[in-house]
Amino acid sequence: MNSMNVNDERFFDLAMKVIARQASDAEHAELDALLAREPELRAEFARLQADVRVAKDALPLVNAMETTGGEFPAYARERLQTKVRQTLGRPAAKKEPDRSFAWGLRWWLGLAVATAVVMLVVLPMFRPPTSPTIQLAMLESGGTRGSATDEVALLKQTWQTTVVHSFSDAEALRAWETNPADERRQPTVKIIYDATAGEVRVLGRWKEKPLDKTFLVERDLATTLKLVKDYVAEQTKR
Amino acid sequence: MNPPDLRALQQGDEAAWDAAFGWLWPTVFAVAQLKLHPFLPDEVEDVAIEALEEMVDKVRSVKSLDELKPLAASIAHHRAVSRLRNRFAQKRGSGKTESLDAPTDEDRNHSEPVSEESLLAKLDQAELACLLRDLQRNLKPEWRAVVGDYFMSAMSQREIASQRGLPIGTVGVYLRRAQEAIRKAVERQPKLLKELEAFLR
Repeated sequence: MNSMNVNDERFFDLAMKVIARQASDAEHAELDALLAREPELRAEFARLQADVRVAKDALPLVNAMETTGGEFPAYARERLQTKVRQTLGRPAAKKEPDRSFAWGLRWWLGLAVATAVVMLVVLPMFRPPTSPTIQLAMLESGGTRGSATDEVALLKQTWQTTVVHSFSDAEALRAWETNPADERRQPTVKIIYDATAGEVRVLGRWKEKPLDKTFLVERDLATTLKLVKDYVAEQTKR
Repeated sequence: MNPPDLRALQQGDEAAWDAAFGWLWPTVFAVAQLKLHPFLPDEVEDVAIEALEEMVDKVRSVKSLDELKPLAASIAHHRAVSRLRNRFAQKRGSGKTESLDAPTDEDRNHSEPVSEESLLAKLDQAELACLLRDLQRNLKPEWRAVVGDYFMSAMSQREIASQRGLPIGTVGVYLRRAQEAIRKAVERQPKLLKELEAFLR
């Protein structure tokens, strides 16, 4: 404002009057003359028209924002509060979990797991076995190595096991036969193939009944082993 | 009436919304009345309620309390304009010849008839709300009053000076200050500036 010179002030005053349709004929003519003399003012005049246009559109809205009168109609309340609930739906206060219940649940779950472990691991130790453990051994003769290998394979095949204890010394075999530790752990039946003697011995105990029988290898080892297997099955059936 | 708690509104607090409805009602009603009174006076209240409903949808995008009323005014304005356009279209479509562009002189003083040249209708709600907030902040109430008297009530500067008890030079100064503030507000609204440039061509 301070930088406006007298001509600027006059131009603004005339422009406002013309835009507000309050200018006299003389003032109209004066503005026209001014615009003719200074064409660069035409753009400013147009901008002033636009400013007034915005003012006429917007200022009633600004004034409306500051209105305080009027009472909100009570009948609209429920409709609007329903909208609030549907849209913003005050989230139900997050329910604090019942700690005592949670801890109780955890405790019972822990107990259940522990019980399951006991059932799976400990109880079988006390359950009577349905069959004895079969242990195989062979006292090798001084024959060919390939023959002994075939006999071991036959033993494994007959009892579906991977372990055959091989002895070359009769004393060592006897020590193994009489080792009481095996029997303490669980019922065990030991089957010993004595190649030198040409016999298969069955030693052990099942349900307090001793097993002690020797089978001679008369025809071939396979036939003898089948007889041994049948005998053991017969003696240890439930 | 005290303004509501914005955070409580955003959380859907019932009591806060009761307060907000009462606080915003004068604004939405006044804006709806500005646009609809000459043509659809029976629908002013309905549009005002619809504007409050829409406020519920928009409240989470509001960042500060002083945005609420401008947004409410903006929503009410656009809803009212939309209602008028629909009604005009229906009347034209049904072949009725009733003039909807003939409000009384009194009505003209209070509202702008809807038209294709409505500059504010070209802004989206957020832009219009921003413009209104800018104008409210930067145009002093006495400046606005003088602008209203001069351009909308067609009072002369002498009449304004007399009625408001101001020196006549002050009326001119207020007009000038208001115009400068409006121009700055428009320049902060690129879309409105573009519309104005088109308007000036």
